Amino acid sequence: MDDEIRAFADGRPAAPPYSQDARARARDRLLREARGHGGLRRPRLGWQAAAAFGITVTLVGGVAVALTGDRQGPDAATSVSQAGVSFPELDPKPGQFILVESDTMYGSHAIREGGETRHLYRTHRKIWQSVDGSADGLLLIEGREPKPYPGEKDLPQDAANWRGSSWTLLNSCSQPKGPYRDDFAYLSTLPTEPAAMRGHLYQGDPGPSPKGDADVRAFQDAVEILREGYLPKAQRAALYEAIKSIDGVVETPGVADSAGRRGVALGRTWAQTGLHEEIIFDPETRMMLGERATVADGRTAKAPVGAVVAHTAQLKVSVVDELPEAPAGTARSDCMPAPTESPTPPPTAPPSDAQATAPPSEAPASARPSTPLSDAPDAPRPTDAPAEGPADAPVEEPVEGPAEGPAGGSAQASGSPAPSAPSADVTDGPAPGAAPPGAPVS
Amino acid sequence: MREDRHVVSVRALPDKLDDSELIERSLSDPESFASLFDRHAEEIHRYAARRLGPELADDVTGEVFLAAFRGRARYDRTWPDARPWLYGIATKVVAQHRRAERRRNHALSRVSAERPGTFDERSADRVTAEQLQPRLARALTRLSAAERDLLLLVAWADLTYEEAAVALRVPVGTVRSRLHRLRVKLRRALGGANPFAEESQHG
Repeated sequence: MDDEIRAFADGRPAAPPYSQDARARARDRLLREARGHGGLRRPRLGWQAAAAFGITVTLVGGVAVALTGDRQGPDAATSVSQAGVSFPELDPKPGQFILVESDTMYGSHAIREGGETRHLYRTHRKIWQSVDGSADGLLLIEGREPKPYPGEKDLPQDAANWRGSSWTLLNSCSQPKGPYRDDFAYLSTLPTEPAAMRGHLYQGDPGPSPKGDADVRAFQDAVEILREGYLPKAQRAALYEAIKSIDGVVETPGVADSAGRRGVALGRTWAQTGLHEEIIFDPETRMMLGERATVADGRTAKAPVGAVVAHTAQLKVSVVDELPEAPAGTARSDCMPAPTESPTPPPTAPPSDAQATAPPSEAPASARPSTPLSDAPDAPRPTDAPAEGPADAPVEEPVEGPAEGPAGGSAQASGSPAPSAPSADVTDGPAPGAAPPGAPVS
Repeated sequence: MREDRHVVSVRALPDKLDDSELIERSLSDPESFASLFDRHAEEIHRYAARRLGPELADDVTGEVFLAAFRGRARYDRTWPDARPWLYGIATKVVAQHRRAERRRNHALSRVSAERPGTFDERSADRVTAEQLQPRLARALTRLSAAERDLLLLVAWADLTYEEAAVALRVPVGTVRSRLHRLRVKLRRALGGANPFAEESQHG
């Protein structure tokens, strides 16, 4: 280290101790997040526990429109329409809420003194989200009977307490949400061209990785956009093509969601977990039907190859004017910490070579459209980042495991009647406000 | 059903996991991420306190680990030590408080100006150990934000060039060339012979 830098190293100010109180608060906050009680990120029971299966649930339909898809599952919902039936696009307005109902099954992993225990836990979820993110939303999670993890006979002790339901008020939060926005108004502003959508998926913080995690991240970001969200048709189509273009992604027709509806899956195998994760789409509308994860590498996943370890179905998507009344005492979710779009002005210093390389902290936050799961709020991608080679490109090993029986969601699924006449909420035309030209076209 | 029924104890988590393994573990067992907090929170807090002062350090530390948790799936697991990654996040969180940092540095740099006749940096430094030396604070105000980030990662966080490159997501060659320019700039600023123009560079 040279003298000039040494002067700073030697002259570093003493730092005050980290008070026990503040430390405990920060740690608690982190644990709350880990437990799924985080801020803007929707509490997503199970997403965290879903090993690496970064996918969850989706939707469909007009006010009472069921998902389409070929029904071949043994317990498919009785009223699901055929693929290709015209799908009335939703037209959510500010002030309204998008309600998404889904069944989920994910892995729950626990570390105990005796070692790791696993099981598959299942839920039925209803989530109401403000169309433009301006109002609080609501989340209802009902437990469903868990299943043993594939290859294991018994349920661990912590699987026993699954009965009941929980409500959470989803805090709209006052501060800017920046990259964490996921409301319809925002999603309507995403690109409608596949290449541009791909750029959006890849523009996030590349992280410290020189090893090609960019593809994994892009896939996860796409899932985050889709899960329990609703995108206009043009964005859905663009997103599908963008995901398909991600390195390592394979397209598999005839994959069933947990309600037995078959669609076309885009999937990717994670070397780290040995799982092949798929997003299942309606072949016509590109609505997300559900997610599935199957074991591709039995040694890594420690489960039989082909076994299904996550399976969901997004049963219904609708637009409603009001939230149902949550039980008294319903907890309100926390907000994220700092605003992610800080008012930091762009640097006005004369550009030097160094600055021309756009260091991560230097660019204005507003230059970066939001990306969920960014590891930091305002990280533009450095233009001179090392090329990311697919050094650990996943082994493509799509597993056509037998679709598991529907996860008990048939009651809900069958509650979705065949496509009905669009309600007053369902009209053609662009979404209000944030929708770019040509965004939501039905 | 309670959401936290899946919450699991991490007390049995093996201490021998390195950061990378711990982060991977946290993908399936989110709560185990708390162990990463336990390992590095003090250090990140120190860095935040040095850059922004004690008032903001608590918040910044919490924000850093929340952001890290949310982005943990993207952690490059070829790096066993998570410090560069955490410092990279810290750098971005600090950037959100850039105004506060500027205020702090300007304030500190004025200390000497107000009593120019008696100014003795070494003794002043000893007396106010929690304060940055005025001349250093003054020099900091003359660096661009990116230069300041790099300098302080190397000088205060003790990152190697390679680690700083990881934290800032630039090639290590870029770190070297930036540091070279930085030295020239600092030499002038610290030497006082040709101080930078006094204009505020970043508003």
